Amino acid sequence: MPDEPATPQIPPIQQAPKPENALAIPLAIIIAGALIAGAVIYNPNSDASQRKGADNPNVAAEDSSAKLENLAPITSADHIRGNPDAPVKIVEYSDTECPFCKRFHPTMQQVMDEYGDSGKVAWVYRHFPLDQLHKKARKEAEATECAAELGGNDGFWKYLDRLMEITPANDGLDPAELPNIAAYVGLDVQQFNTCLANGTYAQKVEAHVQNAIATGGNGTPWSIVVGPNGTKYPLSGAQPYQSVKQLIELALTEK
Amino acid sequence: MSGAAVVRVLRNPRYAILAFAVSLFVFLFATWLPNLALIQSVLGTPGVTPVSKLAFLASLAGSIATNFTLFSAAVTVAIALLFGIHIALFVYLVRRRVQSVRLGSSAAGGLMGLMSGIFGIGCAACGSVVLTGMLTAAGASGALALMPFKGEEFGIIGITLLLVAISMTAKRITDPQTCRID
Repeated sequence: MPDEPATPQIPPIQQAPKPENALAIPLAIIIAGALIAGAVIYNPNSDASQRKGADNPNVAAEDSSAKLENLAPITSADHIRGNPDAPVKIVEYSDTECPFCKRFHPTMQQVMDEYGDSGKVAWVYRHFPLDQLHKKARKEAEATECAAELGGNDGFWKYLDRLMEITPANDGLDPAELPNIAAYVGLDVQQFNTCLANGTYAQKVEAHVQNAIATGGNGTPWSIVVGPNGTKYPLSGAQPYQSVKQLIELALTEK
Repeated sequence: MSGAAVVRVLRNPRYAILAFAVSLFVFLFATWLPNLALIQSVLGTPGVTPVSKLAFLASLAGSIATNFTLFSAAVTVAIALLFGIHIALFVYLVRRRVQSVRLGSSAAGGLMGLMSGIFGIGCAACGSVVLTGMLTAAGASGALALMPFKGEEFGIIGITLLLVAISMTAKRITDPQTCRID
């Protein structure tokens, strides 16, 4: 019997090569999704997150809308531009060396130009110097308070307007300018220097800082728009005039 | 060669619209992120018409000019555009794909680029919105102040990763469709 032809060797079936980085897509999707979810969940202006520096540890457990209720009452001790009994009040926590506060200042001036004379909106200014970013801001905040002591409410606002106008921001203002601004707005420079050196208003500034944090602020400018019925709208950052205007119009419609 | 692939894909109106829609979404997300609580409050206020709500949301897009530095605004726009382009290229590639086409690394690169870009979103005064929330929750909020550009470094990393991902995806598009012998 002739030799049977050799059975051709059929190579074993090879598994198709797996695409490289097979886990890359699902892993990247999971990580991206977690980051985006984290951005929303841990957003300082959404739900709870620990606030460094808050005196009351229970503050951290509140959600964002509850934190707004920690807003300190607006009193005659506040610096108010416009009608103190205006139906809408915008409480701004600000840092005089923050470039975005510098940008937001003219926006608020525009708000007051439109709504101030009619008495519809009042602008309440409070201090929120971010010491980690702007070491000069706290002393500048105290300087504005000294201006208020010497020149009243008008003196405060003139001093603040001038400071915001000339500061380069980001700790660029020379501290020697502080008494110069006082002179510019017509205050007694010697008394101003004494007030500033004494640190008379350090405690008041710190109280504003703590209240800003307690209301959920973690950056500047941090504003709370208070409607006629007490509803509070958080406004973070130097938002454009149109956004602020629409928010004011919304608040004014409240009964 | 990568540029030719990008042009080829975006010449198709469907992919151009996809790129635009994704870019717009990322851009709006970046401008809305600092004010999510406010948006929630406005959208949930009874008596506000849908038109007013939409107008308010649209007005917040203007914060790119007021609430961002020039650098961070440029980074935000760049990341939005690049991610939109990357998604369009990726969908084009997936629709053409055969089993042997390797997509993992370009997809991962694009998503990593977006992730890094998200870290970079924010203003110089308040730092990265995402990192501020996450790091603060971990009790390390001062870390941002220590970074030379206060978190904006992540935006540069995001742009770089997206450019790499686009280049990789574009190369896949222009590669001949063959079964490769390894």
